[in-house]
Amino acid sequence: MTNRQARVFAIASTLIAALIFLILTLDSHRQFGELTNAENITPEVTRGKDVWHKYNCINCHTLFGEGAYYAPDLTKITKHRGEAYLTAYMRDPSKFYDEQTHRRLMPTQDLSEEEISDLIAFLDWVSNVDNQGWPPRPIMVTGAAVPTEFVADTDEASAAPAGDTTPVTAEDDPRAQGEYVYQTASPACTACHSTQPGVDMAGPTLAGLVTRAQAIIAAESYPGEAQDVEGYIRESIVAPSAYLVPGDMYSAGGTSFMPQGYGESLTEEQIDQLVAYLATLK
Amino acid sequence: MRYKSQSVAYWYFAVAMVLFGLQLVFGLLSATKYLGPDPLLYILPFDVTKVIHTNLLIVWVLTGFMGATYWMIPDESRTELHSVKLAYLQLILWTLMGVSAIIGYLFRYGTGNKLLEQPLPHKIVIVICMLIFLYNIGMTIKKSGRFTTTEGVLLIGLVSSAVLFFPALLYYENYTVSIFYRWWTIHLWVEGVWMMIMGAFLAYLLIRLSGADREVMEKWLYVIVGLVFIAGILGTAHHYYWVGVPQYWLPIGGLFSALEPAALAGMAIYAYSAMRRSGLAHPNSLALHWTVGSAVFALFGAGLLGLAHTFPAVNKWTHGTLITAMHGHAAFYGAYAMIILAMITYTLPKMTYGRSEKGSSLGYWAFWLQISGMFGMTLSFATAGLGQVYLERIMGMGYLDAQLKIQVHFLMLIATGALFALGVALFIYDFFRHRPRFEADDEPVEDAPVKTRDS
Ligand code: HEM
Ligand SMILES: [Fe+2]
Repeated sequence: MTNRQARVFAIASTLIAALIFLILTLDSHRQFGELTNAENITPEVTRGKDVWHKYNCINCHTLFGEGAYYAPDLTKITKHRGEAYLTAYMRDPSKFYDEQTHRRLMPTQDLSEEEISDLIAFLDWVSNVDNQGWPPRPIMVTGAAVPTEFVADTDEASAAPAGDTTPVTAEDDPRAQGEYVYQTASPACTACHSTQPGVDMAGPTLAGLVTRAQAIIAAESYPGEAQDVEGYIRESIVAPSAYLVPGDMYSAGGTSFMPQGYGESLTEEQIDQLVAYLATLK
Repeated sequence: MRYKSQSVAYWYFAVAMVLFGLQLVFGLLSATKYLGPDPLLYILPFDVTKVIHTNLLIVWVLTGFMGATYWMIPDESRTELHSVKLAYLQLILWTLMGVSAIIGYLFRYGTGNKLLEQPLPHKIVIVICMLIFLYNIGMTIKKSGRFTTTEGVLLIGLVSSAVLFFPALLYYENYTVSIFYRWWTIHLWVEGVWMMIMGAFLAYLLIRLSGADREVMEKWLYVIVGLVFIAGILGTAHHYYWVGVPQYWLPIGGLFSALEPAALAGMAIYAYSAMRRSGLAHPNSLALHWTVGSAVFALFGAGLLGLAHTFPAVNKWTHGTLITAMHGHAAFYGAYAMIILAMITYTLPKMTYGRSEKGSSLGYWAFWLQISGMFGMTLSFATAGLGQVYLERIMGMGYLDAQLKIQVHFLMLIATGALFALGVALFIYDFFRHRPRFEADDEPVEDAPVKTRDS
């Protein structure tokens, strides 16, 4: 090979690669709108993006897995946590996590209420971008292992379960089916609740639930309508604010941070199964 | 030093050294925050130390590139620089830009866009500095009429770096589109045009240090550049996984970025065989250590560790974890920090009084401490990252809980980081302990006579 041939090789390969790259870039522009639901980029979302930039969030967190690795990925956070929870969290993270326990804490950012709601709108837009189903399995903020079937987002790609828990069939015991619902509802109960004693995550641990429920409904001050343990569990699922577990990290202004939509997203049968399962947690 | 104006390089290198030192202070500070709890939570939180750490890196590496270019161009074109005044003006402007950006970050004054955090006024100053720089270099070459291939590759690398900064100046409404173009700057810099810059410095150093034949070296330089761009341009797609762009970028990213290590392997073979074939013609064997070390460490950090997570099927699990930090540190250090340290080590005996060409034992300590420290840091990030991927991404353990389980690797990171910092401290001390010297002397031309296109 001569010097000249080497030069031609360098120039030609660069030009060809650059040309292909530019063509694909043009084609990507054709598709950005649809893939990112660009029509949903409201002024609120745009302001939320500015808040994200202004407070330098990306130098601790990741979004689409890009950023810093000091704090959890937030791509799908609005699929795991409701607006009420996120609002309260952003007002004061130290009410939710303890620096001594996790050795890390998010400093309070002094966001205005409007900045908070814009930010949540932005994060919600992010969570709906079609990003090839990433993450392949949900990235949790706290808590122990969750089964693969837990599918938090709406993407088809991520909906393929790897199947490492026992599959259930219609003939199985309702309690087994309930456990399956517990893990696969959207958002999954496991995103916020543990069944280990003492492991309070975004929601309180469900270990010892039955004993606790008995005490709650027996108490004078209980505002709900449940007559028995099953009733209390059902009420907690379909009307989370009927009784509020004490603690700033669980509720604010009389509203529980637990998602309010299970009454609609789960069938009557699924709720029965869930209650049957949870009633085993003595 | 054959040309008096080459001494501007000294001041560029001096600024680079100070910023390099500062970079490590903020790096070590960030590392201790991984261990936590953080007593500085409300004074100097992680996001601030991290943004300063990465920005200092970019600024000092670019300062080093500029200094090394101001040294190399007169040598290659055999003439004084077009304007020493402009070169100093540029350095002052550049340093002010860098320092004020860092101070701004302390108060969260920045764009909050990863690696491109410089506020718009600073970005504009960056562009002005680049223009002054390119003008000065261009005029020098034009006046001399002597234009070597090595210089040509360097110059195109520098011009393209400036051009690729352009997308970073624009505003994007859509976050995904802003990610798309952010990588035009970042990826096409580090895996494209900066590789040309590195390749040119490598060729320059090898021709002088090993006495290798210029004709042969420049031919292979072309081949390396060709390999860089065949793979590197379409390889940008490895940053387009999972960010909301069309699906076809996945196979393209996997295929082309997997070819990227070829260019890096090419550079390592290039350096090694130049050294083997021609022996050590030059007394400055410490500079040769840095030169060959850079090519080899880049092959390890960028080539091998980049390849390790560049396929979509792997990246799906490792994306956004400490595995990325593992690769980022080793790659940047090997390819860009080390090549600048090589240029500094080569030029310093010519620019200071009383320094031996062969290098001091302090210089060797600095080399080996840095190499082993960085290798240890890479391993710490790798073990932490593997733990994280397994516990958090595969087992589904919560992020915060998984981080608690990998604390021991953060301890290792701090220990090896301290070792590395010691090596850097020695290098900086060695840099400043000899007085600079600004006279030209008629030392022999160190490269063999050449046939250039226009001479
Ligand atoms: C000198 C050359 C290189 C340098 C300086 C470099 C540096 C970096 C840095 C700093 C990052 C992190 C960027 C961020 O998180 O914003 C990164 C990411 C990455 N690099 Fe490189 N790199 C180099 C070469 C390579 C090569 C040759 C490959 C593949 C063979 C590669 C594969 C990757 C991949 C796949 C990522 C993305 C990781 C992720 O976010 O999932 N790199 N690189
Ligand atoms: Fe890249």
